[in-house]
Amino acid sequence: MLKRMLLGAALAVSAAFPALAQGLPRDALVVLRTIDADRYDPHRTTARGAAEVLYMMSDTLVSLDWDLKTVRPGLAREWTVSEDGKTYTFLLRNDVTFCDGRPMTADDVVFSMNRWLGRTTPRVTSPVAWRAGKVKEVRATGPHTVEYELEEPFSELPYQLSLFFASIVDKATVERLGDNFGVQGFNGTGPYCWVSWTPRQEVVLRRHPTYKWGPPIYQNPSPQIERIIWRIIPEQNTRIAALQTGQGDVTQYIPYSWLDRLRRTPGISLSRQDNYLWDYFIGFKVDKPVMNDPVIRRAINMAVDRKAIAEAVFFNAGDPADTILNPATLDFYEGTRALVPPFDPAAANRLLDEAGWRRGADGIRVKDGQRASFLLYGIQSDDASRYVEAVQADLRRVGIELRIQLYDATVAWGRLATQEFDAFAMSYPYVSAGDALNLYFRSNNRPTPNRMNWVDEQTDRWLDEGRSALTAEARARAYANVQRQLQEANVWLPLVREQHWLASTRRVQGARAHGIYGVALYKGLDLRLVQ
Amino acid sequence: MTAAAALPEEDIAPPRAGLFRRLVSDPGAAMALAIVAAVFLAAALAPWLAPFDPYDNNLRAQMRPPDATNWLGTDGQGRDILSRILFGLRVTLGMGIASVVTGGAAGIFLGFVAAYYRRLDQPIMRLMDMLLSFPAILVGLALAAIFGPGLEPVIIALAVATVPLMARIVRGAALVVLGHDFIEACRAVGMTDARLIWRHLAPNCLSPIFVFATLRLGQVILIGSGLSFLGLGAQPPNPELGAMAAAGRNFLFFAPHIAVIPSLAIFVVVLAFNVLGDAMRDALDPRLRV
Repeated sequence: MLKRMLLGAALAVSAAFPALAQGLPRDALVVLRTIDADRYDPHRTTARGAAEVLYMMSDTLVSLDWDLKTVRPGLAREWTVSEDGKTYTFLLRNDVTFCDGRPMTADDVVFSMNRWLGRTTPRVTSPVAWRAGKVKEVRATGPHTVEYELEEPFSELPYQLSLFFASIVDKATVERLGDNFGVQGFNGTGPYCWVSWTPRQEVVLRRHPTYKWGPPIYQNPSPQIERIIWRIIPEQNTRIAALQTGQGDVTQYIPYSWLDRLRRTPGISLSRQDNYLWDYFIGFKVDKPVMNDPVIRRAINMAVDRKAIAEAVFFNAGDPADTILNPATLDFYEGTRALVPPFDPAAANRLLDEAGWRRGADGIRVKDGQRASFLLYGIQSDDASRYVEAVQADLRRVGIELRIQLYDATVAWGRLATQEFDAFAMSYPYVSAGDALNLYFRSNNRPTPNRMNWVDEQTDRWLDEGRSALTAEARARAYANVQRQLQEANVWLPLVREQHWLASTRRVQGARAHGIYGVALYKGLDLRLVQ
Repeated sequence: MTAAAALPEEDIAPPRAGLFRRLVSDPGAAMALAIVAAVFLAAALAPWLAPFDPYDNNLRAQMRPPDATNWLGTDGQGRDILSRILFGLRVTLGMGIASVVTGGAAGIFLGFVAAYYRRLDQPIMRLMDMLLSFPAILVGLALAAIFGPGLEPVIIALAVATVPLMARIVRGAALVVLGHDFIEACRAVGMTDARLIWRHLAPNCLSPIFVFATLRLGQVILIGSGLSFLGLGAQPPNPELGAMAAAGRNFLFFAPHIAVIPSLAIFVVVLAFNVLGDAMRDALDPRLRV
């Protein structure tokens, strides 16, 4: 009875909520999400909240298939790679226009790439310019031909160019809006065009009328919905209540605890992306006291019940993760499976005993005057506090104390760039083994994102080999070496691989979860509204 | 001659004798007193009263409703809520008492100084006015942003917010007492300032201090629980009532007891302190006893 009363009250509140009570416009798809972005400029943000909208407002040279592995044409109808692997030649479509009607040419691609790389004036600093590779020059060799020349081969370039950071933008709009590009306006070649942005409330897009160059993974390359409204509802129960009561059409922000109930809710459809790559893990600073002991790191990996966390904390909407990388990822090394310490708290206790870590009076182990205690930083969220608390309890059973300090996202990233902590909790998307490994384990990526302080010349050499490999086999071999090395060192505690779901109401047809960079709707094509 | 000065000596002296008797004669106050006593007792005896380890989780038994094993059910980590409430009372009361004692002590000192040394009155009270303009939650947010979330920033924020309130009350009470003849008599016999304040001024101001401290304890528990609810206070796995309520808010539809029970505990504790404070004010007010 109490549960029904609460549900009724929530529905009443959501109905009374002004933003929700407006009803749904007949011509607009209302997408519900949790947070806004700081701006919608692909070269100045890495937020998923920005990516969601930018994938619809702009295009990339190439696109990514539903398997999240196969690169497909995008603005480039085809491309070739030179024998030395250093020069990519992209042949662009000649029927592409920006939202303002101006045809897109190779010059726009050159400008956009240079802006991403920080080579335009005024200079834009993209936090992920490294994803573009070591670029020597991007040049237009014809009105619809672009040569992308690298200083050294970068076998993953096509994958990276499918990400929204590599979006093509209109130079004139960028220059006209300056710092306000992506804040007051946007001009791209995507299936939907910028209309308005009310920060922390909604973004409104309208259909790009001439758009017909959607990626080949879609059945219909043109948008079929007149307007798309991205609406922010941070509180999860209110968001789901809004979906259930028809105040929104679609959301990928489904609380884990709601997933099973939504499955049983009439009128709600769910789509899952099976190849999704978004992992939760805890990373250790391997050069700090306690964390620098491989025995401690191995014992931690043996003590934590990932299966229970996936079942209870993620309500089975996550899969237990043991290997550093998802087995579904490109260049995953199967050999790492055998290196994973099995879940066995008793064995973890024995391991620690044998290594000289003795339990103190408070149950926490001590060795040479050093307590088996470490400080973890993380970003405050409901999910984070739940899974790190579960890890904390598991570690307490083997005599290891985990101290948790979660920060609000506004200050967390700054804290996570310091050396104040011993371990950190994080979740992240990636497109391949090389993507993940180059991001986190390059020596020169300290202090962030290499927060583990993992410094190893051999690792760097293997990563270089992988990046510059000319064949898939050579690349996989190099990255396999890194994976084996990291798995043996237990430099992370992999926890859970998030599943990717998209919930939609019966008003929506064609909703299918894609998952590139954690974005379910991707280009927003094939979506239709049924009145 | 003021009305207070006309009262018999025993009525303007600290009226502590008979306070308990007067409190228990009021049914509401008696109940509030009993609840407060029970809360303190439960917090003190938590290690012996708690049926389970408040930190020991069992994920496979998460969100169980109240039953014979777990009288108040289990939380999202499968921990016994009753045990966590008992230990949470320690944290919540400790947070409240620490902030009222530290903030109150500073406020009492500043209030006496402002009342006794008139040339310091304006600077001190304007400073108090400035402090009053910062809500405790804002101070808590700022401190948590600088030092990170935890109980210490919350206690500091609540103490800072308590200082000006206590200073104003103490100053007002002290000014009334300073107008009495016996203060003049003390000065006439050459008593030092410190001795006068400590031996004669302070004891005659204790009633409003006790009343305010009791009422303030309820308020800071509420604000502190609010800050913990926002994630700024107690950090996992510390059981704190506000944090416990926050942990359950996402499961209101499926397991309402996780949020409702700690919230009810906060409600009862705060209400008890408020009722007790009101009753103490009545019991210690000489005008209501003549």
